[in-house]
Amino acid sequence: MRHRFLAPRSALTPVAVAALVLLAQMTVAAQQAATGGTQKTSAPASSSFVTPRTAWGDPDLEGVYTFATLTPFQRPAAQAGKDRLTPEEQKALEEQLKKKQEENIATNEHFSYNAIWFASDQGRPTGRTSIIVDPEDGRLPPLTERGEKLRAEMRAQAATKRIGKDVLVDTWVDLSIYNRCIARPMPRVSQEYNQGAEILQTPGFVTIFYESMHDVRVIPVGGRPHLDSSIRQWNGDSRGRWEGDTLVVDWTNFSDEETSSGSAPFDGFPQGNMHVTERFRRMDANTLDYLVTVEDPTIWTRPFTFDIPWRGDDPTYRGPDDLFEYACHEGNYRMVEDVITAAQAVRAAHSGNR
Amino acid sequence: MKRKVLVGSVGATAIAFILAMAMQAQTQQLPSYRAPRFPGTQNPDLNGIWQAVNSANWDLEPHAAGPSPFPALLGAIGAEPAGQGVVEGGKIPYQPWAAAKKKENFEKRLTRPTTHELNDATGDPEAKCYLPGVPRATYIGLPFQIIEASKQILLSYEFASATRIVYMDRKPKAPVDSWMGWSIGSWDGDTLVVDVTAQNDKTWFDQVGNFHSDALHVVERYTPLTQYHLMYEATIEDPKVFTRPWKISMPLYRRMEPNIQPLEFKCVEFSEEFLYGHLVDKLSK
Repeated sequence: MRHRFLAPRSALTPVAVAALVLLAQMTVAAQQAATGGTQKTSAPASSSFVTPRTAWGDPDLEGVYTFATLTPFQRPAAQAGKDRLTPEEQKALEEQLKKKQEENIATNEHFSYNAIWFASDQGRPTGRTSIIVDPEDGRLPPLTERGEKLRAEMRAQAATKRIGKDVLVDTWVDLSIYNRCIARPMPRVSQEYNQGAEILQTPGFVTIFYESMHDVRVIPVGGRPHLDSSIRQWNGDSRGRWEGDTLVVDWTNFSDEETSSGSAPFDGFPQGNMHVTERFRRMDANTLDYLVTVEDPTIWTRPFTFDIPWRGDDPTYRGPDDLFEYACHEGNYRMVEDVITAAQAVRAAHSGNR
Repeated sequence: MKRKVLVGSVGATAIAFILAMAMQAQTQQLPSYRAPRFPGTQNPDLNGIWQAVNSANWDLEPHAAGPSPFPALLGAIGAEPAGQGVVEGGKIPYQPWAAAKKKENFEKRLTRPTTHELNDATGDPEAKCYLPGVPRATYIGLPFQIIEASKQILLSYEFASATRIVYMDRKPKAPVDSWMGWSIGSWDGDTLVVDVTAQNDKTWFDQVGNFHSDALHVVERYTPLTQYHLMYEATIEDPKVFTRPWKISMPLYRRMEPNIQPLEFKCVEFSEEFLYGHLVDKLSK
């Protein structure tokens, strides 16, 4: 029923509409029947493509993928009213990004994380102007009253941790969950680096292994109830089901702790009331479509949906041995020591104690 | 009465036989059990959530029970149970310098890492929630899941969300040392054999400070004994630290609770006070 809130996508290009019409009827019909609403698909599978099956008959989604993309999560103001780039604009964007990357290498823009970290792990633009496909403006929906209040509180809290240009980390808790190497808030959208993932399948389970934070989601497929609501996890609790060739995952039980602004994909709001529905579908031999609807009626006035290709043909992730150990906390001691002692020095200088 | 005694003695013989077989199973699989096959392959299906039930994470060697490190704070909570040990022959064959180093590790195992030098040199990595390495991840006290797919195996541990990919169909080279090492798998009958190299020298084997260098080479064997048990064996070789290779073994038990699933034990946030507390605690300066 929740998908009734999703508006039909009216801004489809003629090519996409034609392709949608040609799309194998069964998949769309099955998805729409099961969700009772208009189901968005941004990149319809080729009509000749037949999803391979595992030995036990499930759709086969296995592979090593990257969800890296240079398409921004929200649509930039300059592209308001336009959901796709023309081929000329796409080419110009790719050139501009390449130039920026070369500049990064020259200027070492990211300081400790120089362009080496980013050069080979940025994916490609999708051709769309935003990862968000609903609402139609490609932007996160307006906040609820509680959402606005939370945002104001988070900003006020952040302001107490700032003197001039310096952001002060008085204790490790002032760092984001991500900087503390505890978790990289879910669902994963494009991040700076280590955007690889592997899907493995066993009878009754689909497992997703994310390189970043070496996180594993073992998703039971079919029937099993969610964890008790008292058990909150950084990576939530996932339950899958097959709808035609699509793996649909119902994702709940997220932690309600602050994730800290900037570390989460959706402005760092606590995720305790978040309910996510993921759809994984194979588009061709090398690509999965990852279509995700996020709801939290206590924060956003309506659900929103985003769509990211998971590419299996990226040269950065050719196979499982390209998913390297993400030992994060193990190397964090000096960083935490430095930022806390730096904050103490800034505060001491500011209060004239030295 | 006579009959009952007879039955009893047959029963005892059967038990002795089963025990003998179980002992033998440490080196070879029980002939009576053949694991189900993974669909579409000839490989035994080892999928499941498994856990060691012993005190090896405290001390691999035989040990009596002992108090917690902070009895005034914790009372009997955190005290260490006794264990008969999991090392074949009982003792780890240290070179003399390494035996002294192990003793020092133990004495300084809970030293607060008030400088980065101290952090590098002392302390049980488990207290810091650092990735546990192999074989410690297996018996660190939390369950782990074997995710055996058609071409590859993923080992996923509750502790610290540690993971290892086991490459089955090919043998890629380790690009650099890491905390969980580089695992190449193969089948020896129904036994999964995992050859683990390229581990760094920062992990320990247990809480009493048994340790290794970056020359560590571990060969693990996971043998299905019944539907509910695996025999786990690890042969440990490190010419920089030990006088000869040595071996540990223990059964692993399948977690059988309805709807059992791995839960998060992201212990970073439980380690931060220990690691960084001195930075904000003015009294400690």
